[in-house]
Amino acid sequence: MSTSPVAVIGVGQTHHKSRRLDVSFGGLVREAVFRALDDAHLTMADIDAVVLGKAPDIFEGVMKPELYLSDALGAVGKPMFRVHTAGSVGGTTAIVAASHVQAGKHRTVLAVAFEKQSEGNAQFALGSGKGASLGAGGAFAPFIRAYIQRSGAPEHIGWKVAVKDRLNALKNPYAHLKIEDISIEKVKSSPMMWEPIRFLESCPSSDGACAVVIADEAGGLAAAADGRPPAWILGTSSRSEPPSFPGRDPVRPAAALQCAADVYAQAGITDPRRQVDMAELYVPFSWLEPIWLEAFGFADEGEGWKLVDEGATELEGRLPINASGGVLSSNPIGASGLLRFAEAANQVRGAAGEHQVDGAKVAIGMAYGANNQYFSTWAVGSSRRPEWEG
Amino acid sequence: MTRFVESTIKFPYKRSLGPVMGAFMSALTERRILGIRCNGSVLVPPMEWDPATGAELPHEFVEVGPVGTVESWTWVPVPSEQHPLDRPFAFAFIRLDGASTPLFHAVDAGSPSGLQVGDRVAPRWRGTRTGRIDDIICLVAGEDPETSGEDTGAAVEPVTSMDYLASITYRNPVPEAADRSAAASREHRLLGLRCPVCDRVYAGGRGYCPIDAIELGPECELDLTTKGTITNFVVVTPVQYPGQTETEPFVRAFVLLDGSHVIVPYSPVIELAADQVRVGLRVEAVWASPAEELDESGGMGGSWGSLVGWIPTGEPAIDDPDLVNRIF
Amino acid sequence: MSANLSSHLADLAVVGWAQTPMVRHTDKTETQLLMDVITDALEPLHLTRADIDYTCLGSCDYITGQAFSFVSNLDAIGAWPPKRDSHVEMDGAWALYEAWLRLAEGDIEIAVVTGSGRSSTGDPALIYPMEMDPYFLAPLGADPLTFAALQARAAIASGIADERSMADVAVRSRGKGDVEALLQEDYLREPLRRHDVPPITDGAAAMVLATGDRARQMVERPAYITGFDHRTECHNPSFRALDDSPSTRLAAQAAGLGDGPVEVAELQAAFTHEELLLRKVLDLGDDVVVNPSGGALRANPIMATGLCRIGYAADHIFGGGNRALAHATSGPCLQQNLICILEGRS
Repeated sequence: MSTSPVAVIGVGQTHHKSRRLDVSFGGLVREAVFRALDDAHLTMADIDAVVLGKAPDIFEGVMKPELYLSDALGAVGKPMFRVHTAGSVGGTTAIVAASHVQAGKHRTVLAVAFEKQSEGNAQFALGSGKGASLGAGGAFAPFIRAYIQRSGAPEHIGWKVAVKDRLNALKNPYAHLKIEDISIEKVKSSPMMWEPIRFLESCPSSDGACAVVIADEAGGLAAAADGRPPAWILGTSSRSEPPSFPGRDPVRPAAALQCAADVYAQAGITDPRRQVDMAELYVPFSWLEPIWLEAFGFADEGEGWKLVDEGATELEGRLPINASGGVLSSNPIGASGLLRFAEAANQVRGAAGEHQVDGAKVAIGMAYGANNQYFSTWAVGSSRRPEWEG
Repeated sequence: MTRFVESTIKFPYKRSLGPVMGAFMSALTERRILGIRCNGSVLVPPMEWDPATGAELPHEFVEVGPVGTVESWTWVPVPSEQHPLDRPFAFAFIRLDGASTPLFHAVDAGSPSGLQVGDRVAPRWRGTRTGRIDDIICLVAGEDPETSGEDTGAAVEPVTSMDYLASITYRNPVPEAADRSAAASREHRLLGLRCPVCDRVYAGGRGYCPIDAIELGPECELDLTTKGTITNFVVVTPVQYPGQTETEPFVRAFVLLDGSHVIVPYSPVIELAADQVRVGLRVEAVWASPAEELDESGGMGGSWGSLVGWIPTGEPAIDDPDLVNRIF
Repeated sequence: MSANLSSHLADLAVVGWAQTPMVRHTDKTETQLLMDVITDALEPLHLTRADIDYTCLGSCDYITGQAFSFVSNLDAIGAWPPKRDSHVEMDGAWALYEAWLRLAEGDIEIAVVTGSGRSSTGDPALIYPMEMDPYFLAPLGADPLTFAALQARAAIASGIADERSMADVAVRSRGKGDVEALLQEDYLREPLRRHDVPPITDGAAAMVLATGDRARQMVERPAYITGFDHRTECHNPSFRALDDSPSTRLAAQAAGLGDGPVEVAELQAAFTHEELLLRKVLDLGDDVVVNPSGGALRANPIMATGLCRIGYAADHIFGGGNRALAHATSGPCLQQNLICILEGRS
């Protein structure tokens, strides 16, 4: 990018639960917003523009909710923008908010994403209220079967990812699922939902929200000078491909490969395996972890599962993936992508708390949507121009 | 001539109210109306935040009304099914006594000549109140609130949620290609469309090529074989939710048609137990009888028309490690 | 040059646009409409889909009646190989705004944005209450016609509009009708009569945005975007002064409207009184030609109506004009407003 650097200076999220019956949906979103503003040492008055993302309006039954939420988000008198790119929307929300600053239009922009799935029924809404649907698991299971067969991965890989992410979630105070006795045995004995996907290899349905404050270079430097390290945005990309045509490969989608290439080129990342310290990848079903490890260049094609098998993606491993517990532990759909981006930012800010990856300097946040079609990714770093070692 | 299909979509929602709207809705069941203090004024309906700045408001509730003054109104000569009254009425802004802002609600005024700005109106309460804005059925002329039907009293517990049901009927065109595909299926034919630019063939009545973004008309049609090989599948254990019609685990398979690159996605497999479905299995199309089609039982429906699913041919399975990758 | 735009933002231009036939009912799906209209926007510029670096689509699930309805619209882009892409659940005017920001990042040159909606699919009186406050307004079936009528009342009470001036707007916009006769009609929602209300329209629009250098190669007279801004207000009309549109005023200031005269203003005024209110808020004199296209009163393809305003304003520049204003809006009683200033350069 030819534009000046921009930075994440504040991150906030709600406690994610299956039902947040204690709050209205405005109240839910505001919880995340105030945490992000507090984190940035700012108030609503300091925000120049707001970008809102969420999955289909049909999930909550509020059409164009950026209208109802304008005042809840402190956006009165400001630009209020709404993004919707299927499951990747949370990531795209962050990217569009960053674009507002990178383009030189605004200095400080708030990105917000949420889902209050308990208001309706996501399975039902996926069928648009018209009756039976296969559910997301039914749509993705064939992709996973294809991955398993072509990579020759053993079946315990899916169980391992499921256990790892739930163990990480125990270290994240905001995570939805807290399964204290999670184990391989427990995952493999959980019901088969969408063969080959078992219940505990699947994401929950959550109510939750996430917010991120993005500032220009001066704002990032000011936060740093105040002892609050920002996360510098090193590269962003969103890419999409059509739903179905002969020759499309959902296991290694071209849009994912290009999205990764865009971001690495902008960030100056030439060897992601060595230069990226951790990644938050959108993994709603456990097998998506090795699939994305390969698509995003962390492993050769067909080898992603070996990283999982050797423990490399665990919190103490050489490439921790989803230290936060990931989508497998918290899934407010529209916010799930922004949570990936926000958790990546917190890692390079050294602000991830108990699930901090030691010494994380460069991190990737990634989200995807629809039938492995919509991809959004960013790279964030603890410095504006990381100096690669070795 | 394009055919249109109507579908009515019912959306049931349960909204949690949070502390401020919860207090307001609870009070409605007591036939009381609450506002909230905001910078020296009283907002009705009450908000959790200052609408101007977004600042959180302290929970300082003020009882207002229930009688108020009409500030503005418009006449609704033909009510919609969602409106609070089924006869002509006014929608109005009503400044309840003690409030700084007007409440939007219905006024049952008989005719437009029966209503003027400045008129005093009072609530007509529902006898059985659940904690929704329409616990006030409407407002009526005068200073005296009414209750319609037998008063069953206030809610026993504080109100924390409300139900909302939206029902919308949509009317959408059926692309000609989809109709032609469905018509061919009634003759037990599977129709494909070949893109003249990239040579890809598409089935399922999609009348365009997504690669070249061009429409594919009848001149692009070709007949596809009705035999093929299962490339991939999912066994779905149904989760129960409104509208779910399946109760037992069921299979959806992907079938690669012989002599083409065309995949028929997410298809039922007939007369084969879910645990017997395999990649490489040879199958042929099963068609609904005209009678079955009339009552819309089973089948893939839509542009697949009478194609019910696939049944094993009994031929030996195909062993090709690349088959499983053929999903699209 | 105006509005203190950064150098990248200041050198982006609309180079072309197209719209489908605007009809009461189309027999085409939204994807088919987009397929046609993107081709129509590209061909005069001698561009193909392969030349597009970035796309942003604007559409609305609730108009279509299908969750993720925009996903199949990707088929109209020709997104293979995959494209840099985004989608807004907003009018295409906001899709253009996102593309404008994105091109300013400087690494890519050509964007296509669209707005699409088939508003004939359902009854607006039943769909639109779903965008209202879900606790206090939606359960009452609070429909857009009702809120437009209440805003018209406010405009009339403030002397901004009266029923005759509203009928004048209708006659001028549609190029037909007789004011005296129209004023004899019954009210749909007092003070609104049928002529004060937009038609139901199916349609889509596509627009091509390019960096200055590419724009100058492609067309003789690019329509440079010299100011672009949008602002919102609080949602519930109960808390707003409906005889004003402060968000329009703020957006116009930020877009630099006052930096010079405009010859043409294309306003997304779906209701007659909205044009009169917007004229006053924007301080447009009698010398400004308002809605030469006929505006939203002539064709109102929801989710594309705003983008069409920018298209018609660009047409004014393409035809030799110097400066034009386009306006788009969303939400009840003009809740959210967008201003785009287009200029030609000699």
